[in-house]
This record gives sequence, C-alpha cells and structure tokens, in this order.
Amino acid sequence: MRHILSYLLLAALTLSVASCGSSPLDKAVKRALVQQDTTQAQFDSICGIIQQSPDRYRQYLDDKGQINIAELQALFDRIGGELRPPMRWDISAYGQQELSLTIYFERSGSMVPYDNAGDRGQLKKAVNDIINQFPGRKVSINIVNDNIYPYQGTVDEFIKDRNIYASTAGVGNSAFTDFQQIFGAILKAQDATNVSVVVTDLIYSPADAGSVSIDKILNEENSLVTSIFRQYKGKSVLVHQLMGDYNGKYYPYTNKPVEYRGMRPFYILVIADTPVMDRMAAQSEYAELLHPSTVRNSYRFNQSEAAVDYCVVPDWKDNAGRFRVDHEDATRLTKCEGDKTTGILCLTMAVRLDGLQKEESFLADARNYKVQSASGFELKVTPITPDLVTGNNKMYLDGKTHLLTLTGKMNGPRDQVTISLPNEMPAWIAQSTSRDDTNPAASGFSTTTLGLKEFLDGIASAFGAGGNYTTLTLNLEH
Amino acid sequence: MKQQNFIYLGLGIVATILFYVLRVSAYECIYAVPGFSDQFYNAGLYDMIPLITIAVPWATAGIYYYAINSVRFDRWYHWLLVGGISTMLTIIIGYAVNSSVFSDMGLSYGAESLSFELANAVWAVVMFIVASFSMRWWSSNCRHTPIPQ
Repeated sequence: MRHILSYLLLAALTLSVASCGSSPLDKAVKRALVQQDTTQAQFDSICGIIQQSPDRYRQYLDDKGQINIAELQALFDRIGGELRPPMRWDISAYGQQELSLTIYFERSGSMVPYDNAGDRGQLKKAVNDIINQFPGRKVSINIVNDNIYPYQGTVDEFIKDRNIYASTAGVGNSAFTDFQQIFGAILKAQDATNVSVVVTDLIYSPADAGSVSIDKILNEENSLVTSIFRQYKGKSVLVHQLMGDYNGKYYPYTNKPVEYRGMRPFYILVIADTPVMDRMAAQSEYAELLHPSTVRNSYRFNQSEAAVDYCVVPDWKDNAGRFRVDHEDATRLTKCEGDKTTGILCLTMAVRLDGLQKEESFLADARNYKVQSASGFELKVTPITPDLVTGNNKMYLDGKTHLLTLTGKMNGPRDQVTISLPNEMPAWIAQSTSRDDTNPAASGFSTTTLGLKEFLDGIASAFGAGGNYTTLTLNLEH
Repeated sequence: MKQQNFIYLGLGIVATILFYVLRVSAYECIYAVPGFSDQFYNAGLYDMIPLITIAVPWATAGIYYYAINSVRFDRWYHWLLVGGISTMLTIIIGYAVNSSVFSDMGLSYGAESLSFELANAVWAVVMFIVASFSMRWWSSNCRHTPIPQ
C-alpha cells in the first residue's frame, strides 16, 4: 500500500508542478494583457511586484535597483506571444527621458492679423493648447522672423497674454521671414529629447523679393528647404494645417500690402527625431500635439513604415465560409473554405491604426489601401465604434481602431493577402497651395497659402518620399 | 501478479500525465469554436479543467474501491453508476469553474461552455476507466469490478 501511495503522490506532485509553474509576476502580466489593461497604473502595479521581491526578480532590475525596461519588455513579449491572438504591450516609453518642448512663434507682418482682440483667436488657442497639454514642464518659447529671439516673459505670461503680437512688437525684423536661418537654427539646436513646434503661415518672404518673379521665389523656396532638411534625415516633420480669423494687412509676394478680413490657413510644424515622433505617437499624452483638436489637415514627413497590431476576429457577423487561425502564427489561416452556397470567403481583421497619425477620413477610406492577392480579395474598412464591442469580441477589438474585411473566392490551395497603406503626398497639399496671393478677393484665397506645395515638396525631396505607412499580411491555406 | 498490478498503476499514471501534458490538443480535437477556444486558452481554463477531469474520476474511483469497498456494491452496474456520478460531477464542477472565470472576465459564452463541458464527458469517462484499472487491484471487495480478474 505504501508503494501505491508513493506512486500517487509522485503523480500528484508532477501534475502540481505542471499546473502551477507561473510566478505572480507572470500571472499579473498575463492578466493585464488578457484584460487589455495596459495603463500606467497597471504597469506601476507590475513594477511593484518586482520591487517587493528584488531577489526573486533580480533579472528585471538594473544595478541601481531600477526597473530594467528591456528585460521586462522581453517578459511581456514572451507572455503576450503565448496568448491567442498574440498581444504586445510596448512599455519602452515608461523608461525614457522626459521630452522638452520649444515653441517657435512666427512674428512676421502677415502673422499679426491672426490675433486681433475682436476675433476668435484660433491661432493663440492652438498654441496654448499644445503648451498646456504637453506632459512635463520643460517648455521654452521663441519669437521668430528674420532670426530666432527668446521670448522675454514666462510660459504662463505667454499663455495669459491677450495680445501677443503687441507685447512682442519690436522683436526682430517682421518685414521678412528667413526660412533658411530659422529652420537651420531649429534643426541644429535640437537634441534627442526635444520637440520643436513652429507656428507659422509658411509664407516665404525673403528680403528684396519685390521685383523677383513668383516662379523664381518659389523655386528658391523649394531648393532652400531641401538643402536645409537633407542635412537632417533622421528628423520627422509633422505639418498641421489649421484655420484662423484674419483681420488686417496681408503682405503678398509683391510686398504691396492689402487689407483682408476672413479666414486664413496657418500651420503648426512639429519637428523631432524620428524615434521621438514614433514614441509620441504611441503615447496618448501627446495626442493634442500630434492631433490638435481643430486641425484641418495633417501630414507627417519621414514616417517610417510601422508595424501595427492586428488580429483576425474569428467570430464576426460579416465572416462567411470557414477558416481556422493558426495558434502558433496568427497571420496564418488554415482550413479556409468558401461559403457552401456562394463559395465566398469573408474574414475580418481588427487593426490598430491610430499610431499612424493619419486622419480618420483617410484611414476609413478603403481606396487608400492597396490589396494584393492571387484571388483578388476586396477590402472594406469599418471604424470600430463602442457599440461594436461586446464581451465576447472585446479581446479582439479592445485597443483596435478599424475592422478590415476581406471578401473573395480563393482560386487556389493557398494565397498570400498583403494589405498596405501607401505613403503618398496627400491631395490637400495641392489643393491648399497658390502661386499668386495678390488678390484677396480671388476664390480660394481664404484656404490657400502661397508656395505651400513648393515648401512641402522641398521637405519631401530632402527625406525621400514613398513606401508604405504599414503592411499587413495574411497567409491563407485550404 | 503483484508486479503486473503495479504495471497497470504505472501505466494509468503515465496516461493521466500524458493527458495533462497534451491537454490543449486533447480538448481541441473534441471541441473547438472560434472565439470561445481562444478565450478559454487565455483564461487558463485549459490548465484548470483538465485538473478537475483528472481529480474527480481518480477521487471517485478511490472512494468506490477503498471507502465503499463493499460486497453489496461490487457489480458492474454499481461501478457504472459511480462512473456516471463521477462524470456528472466533472461536468458540473467544470461548468461552474468555467462560468465563474468567464463571468469575471465579462464574457458570455454560456452555450459554448455547456457544450464544451458535455464534450468533456468523453475525457471524464476515459479518466474514470484509467483510474479504475490503475487502482482496483488492491481493493479487498471490489477488485473484480467491473471485469473479473
């Protein structure tokens, strides 16, 4: 009998070891991933488990006893990779240095009418919002026109200032804007933890341009911009176009001022090292900077192709036919079969696209996507709204922004479907540019900027445009 | 004969451990539904339910052969009754655990959970047979049940 008990005890012990292998840290990480609780509070709680048992979790601490983010990320990736579908929580941002913000506020003659006491003051409001919602307090402000001049007041004084152009009157020479001087100095001065924001009308106003043809001015602008930015290929530039009330003298390229009252576009350029821009894109704290609430159009230059989170939603109302998501490789679907009556295979993926910093109208338009497959699958894009998320599909839809639905008939035993989002210069740039700004009564004056396309083409030439924002691949097998 | 009995016990234990090691495949070959199976996996239920499916049949078989251990309860249909109770218990406990875990996660897979636990009856029966043939040999009154030695 003693032998039998020994056998049973050994078996029970084996099963206990097999079933209770994971540590409290592993369980906490898994719970956070499964429940999609990827918040700072949850991260702090997980760090608390490590710091409460420093001997047990020594590998997740550095020499100073601080959390070793790289090691912890490896643990998150391992546990997330074992889930169905695999999940990723990028915690790299938690261990990084605080960013600083430098505002470059243009004070040329054409900028002053954007901030009249009797108007709505959209320009100043947009700058104030960026300053107020920037995480951390490392903020500095400069006034720019012919050169860069530090703002003499404090940040709070700038925010409170009801007439910023009056209080900065006399700073520099407001008769012209020297892009070469300004952007050259900004790019040169910027360090790896700095974010520069240039608030400007993006109108190139060189000195002594009155007698020069517009073609020559714009070609000069284009070459100038390329020559500056090509020296800093590791930078990313995010261009926001906003609209503001304008009331006062407008200075066309002929330098003969005209009175104008109405709306005019202005621009906020966010400049940072590409990894810093990517980091901000991954953190909601920088949402106002990357997606200002009143932005009209946006485009990011030097946006590297990004991997986005996506998973096939196995049980979705639009799905038709049959398929099985491979447990080892979530991009591989096996046993794919079309619907028995129609032969159509329809499958839906949940994708997180908010990190791409594109407008919703762009992301939700299936025409902006390129689908390659031997079977000619067609794509439908649906934004994920809260009413689509139910308890059972929460696991797949939580944190995702769009549903990509592929519909088609497989015409072979296997097919590779590639969905890409090509990075092309958006149409709004060509629609917002003009080559003559001398007549404020002309149609389109209120929505266009002289030489905008030449300026932005100059940046594109410097960085080299093209490629994709992201690419998703699915491998289908019968 | 004594050595042969130990071989049966050893084989039963090995079969049980193998069942636990291969539990995900063992379950997905009898019941797999898109969505439900992924959530079941992520919730760790492929760890918990097999433990219940092992523990309940082994415990009920142990009770039958060594606690009840009665000549008035040693016919094959008595063994079958205990096997039935064991299977029912496995289904009920498994469903309760399954529902509780899913409820905590805010999931509602009532019909799928019930279907899964009913399918799990297959493994519960297999485990009861394995447990019975592993341990019956040392029972003073029931070692001939269900099949005479």
